[in-house]
Amino acid sequence: MKLEFKGIVIIVGAYGCGKTEVSINLAVHMHARGTAVRLADLDLVNPYFRTREARHELTRLGIDVVLPPKQYMHADLPILTPEVSGMLRNPSGLALLDVGGDEVGATVLAALADSLRGKVLQVLQVINPNRPHTNTIDGCLTIRREIEAKANIKITGIVGNANFMEETTEQDILVGYDFSRRVAEAGNVPLVFITTPVKLLTRLDKKAIQCPVLALKRQLVPPWKRAESLDTSES
Amino acid sequence: MAKVLMKGNEAIGEAAIRAGCLNYFAYPITPQSEVAEYLVRRMPEVGGVFLQGESEVAVGYMIFGAAGAGERVFTTSSSPGISLMSEAISYIAAAQCPAVFVNIMRGGPGLGGILPSQADYLQATKGIGHGDCRLLVMAPASVQEAVEMVMNAFPLAEKYRNPVMILGDGLIGQMMEPVAFPDHLKSEPTNKDAWATNGMDHRKSKSRNLVKSLFLDPVQLNDNNLQLKAKYERMRAETVMSESYNTDGDYTGLIVSYGTMSRVCRTAIDMLKAEGIEVGMLRPQTLFPFPEKALADAVSKPSCTHVLSIEMSMGQMVEDVDRFVRGLLPVSWYGKCGGDIPTPEEVIDVVKERFA
Repeated sequence: MKLEFKGIVIIVGAYGCGKTEVSINLAVHMHARGTAVRLADLDLVNPYFRTREARHELTRLGIDVVLPPKQYMHADLPILTPEVSGMLRNPSGLALLDVGGDEVGATVLAALADSLRGKVLQVLQVINPNRPHTNTIDGCLTIRREIEAKANIKITGIVGNANFMEETTEQDILVGYDFSRRVAEAGNVPLVFITTPVKLLTRLDKKAIQCPVLALKRQLVPPWKRAESLDTSES
Repeated sequence: MAKVLMKGNEAIGEAAIRAGCLNYFAYPITPQSEVAEYLVRRMPEVGGVFLQGESEVAVGYMIFGAAGAGERVFTTSSSPGISLMSEAISYIAAAQCPAVFVNIMRGGPGLGGILPSQADYLQATKGIGHGDCRLLVMAPASVQEAVEMVMNAFPLAEKYRNPVMILGDGLIGQMMEPVAFPDHLKSEPTNKDAWATNGMDHRKSKSRNLVKSLFLDPVQLNDNNLQLKAKYERMRAETVMSESYNTDGDYTGLIVSYGTMSRVCRTAIDMLKAEGIEVGMLRPQTLFPFPEKALADAVSKPSCTHVLSIEMSMGQMVEDVDRFVRGLLPVSWYGKCGGDIPTPEEVIDVVKERFA
């Protein structure tokens, strides 16, 4: 099962559910498949571990990264560059928005309502059942309702991102897949894809998983670790 | 309990609850606001209280009030916020009340920046407030260790009837790691009969307790200061913690580093080892009391020629390192304090340039 995306794709979810790793890796994946990708870092609420930290690597690969002006790069201020509404008005290829966490982070989407009006949108909620607050189906649905209310937008699909970072096992992926499927079912939206750390990809029992799988190469790492190479990006 | 993937800030909030602390007063500041965000959801589930003060000054005195009444209480803040609380911390130490303060440090001085820093070392260990007061200061290097230190902080604060500080850098607060929590340890402070002003009804003793830091009589004030001094000496004797890395065999030099900075150094030490260069590390887990004996032992190794303090500050801990090396070996400092954390490669370059 292949991942196919075009038009506007908006990535939302609870704090720390892995929106940014998913966005970066999805951008790299679609770029490698020949789609023109623009990725906007819309995390206005948290100053650490944002897409902008991977900007050099993404730019090197030829992905267009939309960021706040340089002097505000390290701020946690609500700065929305006009380029974002531009990329939404005329999306070509894939326009990917990496939004901040929880309903607080998703509020920025309400400010983009004019640019989003009348457009076909995919709004994907990333979930990790190993995080507090989203370890139950109810918890995931609550976050969904809160995000939809603040952002004035409907979530159209689920992305299962079950992980314990580098301690993730195959079992975690399978349990997470099952959980994500149930969240999607309860919320009456499709499970669009799940993720796996790239090193587990070949070991996964594909027959057990009835949706596409995106292999993640971790980019946002603390300074004593190295990001995984994005160079052999076909996955 | 199964592991959970948590940010340090979230884990600190949960750890306090597990330690039986149901009172959290705070004022938001980056990079630690997630503690409040976590506890605003979590405290009502366990019957606890989260109250946002109108400023850090107010929060400091809310902590004093709760501590004086014998309640487990804590707050979290970041550098400028801790400066505002420092007056209250001095009062709490003088009145010998237990409380836990968490400082998730950001760059300074002044408003500085919002990225990680370790530039409040001197403030935490030597200058937290006016007068002869000290804090017991613990510095975690992982999210799991932050949990354990927070859970230990409450009983230690009660044992010494003194504020305890958890000194973490912004990265400890913001990074996510899998963590496991020990069992629920909700328990009352054991010795509060002697000091808590919680009414005569619950108390075994018949004497009145009075929370105060004013001693107009010079003899009484001196006595109180002698009591505090004796307590700080007891901390030195009983509650020093440190961890050594790569110190079993010979090493040409010793790195002293704490918090997340020590994890960068650890990676650098592994990379140097692959090149055939042996470097040891001492990681203080308590900053006050400082692990002076462990340091003296580590520098007494005949192969060791140099001691290098690596910190995200302009050279603060190096003053203690220098003091406890006592002139036996050259001591130097390397660091940065703007939010850019030195990389393993930078550490390797410095090691090679100074002693390898």
